[in-house]
Amino acid sequence: MSNDANRFSFQSVSQFGVIAGASALALYGLFRRNKTGLALATAGGLVAYKQARSQTQSSKQTATAVFRVNATSNEAYRLWHNFENLPRFMAHLAAVRVLDDRRSEWTAKGPLDSCVRWSAEITEDKPNRRIAWRSLPGSQLETSGWVEFRDDPQGRGSTVRAQVEYSNPVGALGIGLFTAMGKNPNFVVKEDLRRFKALLEAGETPTTVGQTHGPRGLHGHAEQVLFRETSNHPSPQAGNAQRPSHAA
Amino acid sequence: MKAVCWMGKEKMQVHDVPDPTILNPRDAVIKITTTCICGSDLHLYDGLVPTLEQGDILGHEFMGEVVELGPGINKEKLKVGDRVVVPFTISCGGCFACKDQLWSCCDNSNPNAWIAEKIMGYSPSGLFGYTHMLGGYSGGQAQYARVPFADVGPIKIPDGIPDEKVVFLSDIFPTGYMGAENCNIRSGDTVAVWGCGPVAQFAIRSCFMLGAGRVIAIDRIPERLQLARDAGAETLNFDETDVIDALHDMTGNQGPDSCMDVVGMEASGHGVMFAVDRAKQMARIQIDRPTVLRQVIMACKKGGTVSIPGVYAGLVDKMPMGAFMNKGLTMKTGQTHMMRYMAPLLERVQAGQIDPSFVISHKLPLDKAPGAYRMFRDKQDHCTKVVLKPWAEQMAA
Repeated sequence: MSNDANRFSFQSVSQFGVIAGASALALYGLFRRNKTGLALATAGGLVAYKQARSQTQSSKQTATAVFRVNATSNEAYRLWHNFENLPRFMAHLAAVRVLDDRRSEWTAKGPLDSCVRWSAEITEDKPNRRIAWRSLPGSQLETSGWVEFRDDPQGRGSTVRAQVEYSNPVGALGIGLFTAMGKNPNFVVKEDLRRFKALLEAGETPTTVGQTHGPRGLHGHAEQVLFRETSNHPSPQAGNAQRPSHAA
Repeated sequence: MKAVCWMGKEKMQVHDVPDPTILNPRDAVIKITTTCICGSDLHLYDGLVPTLEQGDILGHEFMGEVVELGPGINKEKLKVGDRVVVPFTISCGGCFACKDQLWSCCDNSNPNAWIAEKIMGYSPSGLFGYTHMLGGYSGGQAQYARVPFADVGPIKIPDGIPDEKVVFLSDIFPTGYMGAENCNIRSGDTVAVWGCGPVAQFAIRSCFMLGAGRVIAIDRIPERLQLARDAGAETLNFDETDVIDALHDMTGNQGPDSCMDVVGMEASGHGVMFAVDRAKQMARIQIDRPTVLRQVIMACKKGGTVSIPGVYAGLVDKMPMGAFMNKGLTMKTGQTHMMRYMAPLLERVQAGQIDPSFVISHKLPLDKAPGAYRMFRDKQDHCTKVVLKPWAEQMAA
C-alpha cells in the first residue's frame, strides 16, 4: 500500500483510475443482465480486484487461527509433526516430502495450475507443545509458521493455535501466494486448521468434490465459485475415489 | 440415475445424473427404496433459504439398502446388503458436539462451515439436500445417495417391517418427538401445538406419550385437524377463532404449560402484522415470517416452556422479548439430534405403539415429484405427506 508521502503520486492516482474504471465497467456489465454483461462484469471485477490487491513493495501476509480440538495435545502434535500430513489439511499444498527430522520439500499449487516449490527446515520442535518451521534462504517463496498445542486446563481436549506467513522477495512473483489464490490469508489458515481438527477427530475432512448433481447452468457454476467449493473443498480421500470428469 | 433437482424458485425437475460414488473412507452408497418430501423442502422450493445452487439434488428423508462401503467403515457396524434408514443430519461421532449428543451440531460434517458461521456464529452439522450453507450434500430424492460417516448415522432395520412404517425415522418422527421432549412436560400438563402437518402429528402423539394431559392443536386444514383429533387432541381453526383468546378461555386465563411452534418460517396469518411480514420477506429484508413464533411466546403460561422444532433460517423482526423475559419463559429448540431418538422410536414402532404410516396421503413415483411439491405446498388434494418411490415406473396413488 502506498504510504502517506506517496498519497498523490502518479502511481497511486493511476492505480485509483484503473480501479474506478474497472468498477464502472463491472457495474455496467451487471446492469445489462445477459451473457455479454456477465462477461464484462467479470472482467471489470477481476481487474479492479487485482489492482486493489497488487502492491509495489514486497508483500508479506501473515495469518493466525485457533481451534479447540477433542483430542490430547499429544495426539494433535503427532498428526502435525509428520509434515507429509500437511497437504491433507492445507488445501493449497500439493505435497510435502520429508527428508530427515529437520528438512522437507514442499510443493504448493500456484495460480493457473503452476507449481511453487521450496525447501523448509524445522527451527523449533518441543514435543507436544510447539513446532516452528521456515523456508530455506534462496527459496522461490519465503514462508514460516508455527503451531502450538496446549491441553485444556478443564480437561476438555486441547487447543491448537497456528500462524503461517508467506512473503515474496521484491521482483519475484509480485503477488502474494494467498492473493494469487484469491483468498484472504486469515480465511486460508482458519480453514486449514478447521480441516486439521476434522482429520484429528473424524479421520477425514468433509468434502463434496466429485459428488453427483443435476445440471448446473450458468447460475449454478457462478454459485459454485461464490461458495468456494471449487477452491476450498479438499479432494476425496477414499483411495479409489477419483475426481470424475464431470465435476466442476 | 434419476434425481429430483432444484433448478430455481418453484422449479423442480427430474434429471438423469451420474450415480453417486464413494468419496471419503467412511462413506456408504445407499440404493434408495423410499424417500419423502418434507415441509422444510418447501422453504427451498419457494426460494427462501439462501445458498442453493441450480442443479442441487434435494431430499433428506430416505432409506434403502447399502450397496457400497468406503474402506474406513468397520464391517461389524455396517455391511453391504444392510437395510437402513438414514438420518437427515450428518455427524462424525468424534467432535465435542457429537460426544455431547448434540448430533445436529457436529463440527466436522459441514465443508462450508465458514458460510454458516457468517450467519450463525458457529456452524451446525451438514444436512442432506439442504443448501450449501449446510454442506451442499446431494440429497435423497433420487435412486441412490452417498452417505458420509455411514458408521454413525444410518440405523439398521430388520426384515418384515414395510418401508412406510420406518422411513419417517429419517426425520419427522424424531423431530416431532424431540419437539415434545423439549416442552419439559410434567404429567398432566397442557401443551398447545401450532401446526398440524406431519411433524406436528408426531409431536402431538409424542406429547401424550410423554405424559401430557391435554394437547390443543392449531391449524386451518380440515383433514389435518381431524388427524390431530384422532390422536386425542382438541383443535382450534385459526381461520375461525382468535387463537390467543381461545387459549385464555380453555386454560382458565392461565395459558398452556408449554407451547410448540411446529410451523417455522413460512407461517400463515391474518392482519396487518402478517401483511408486513410477507412484504418484508418478498423484499428479502426479512427471511423468516415469525407469525407463530410471536404467538407461542404471547400465549405461553408464566414460567412455561416454548419449544421450537419449526425451521428458521435467518433473522426475524419484532420479537416480544419483553413478554419472554418478564414471564420467565424457557425456549428449547434445535435441528433434531437424530441419533438420540432413532433406536428408541424404532422400538416403539416394533412394539406396535404407533404406526407412522398414518400421515401418508400420497405415494408417487419419483417422476411425479415436481408436481407433488406444488401440491404439498398448496395443500391440494388433501395432501398431508408425500412418499416417493424411486424405482416404480407406474404406481397408483
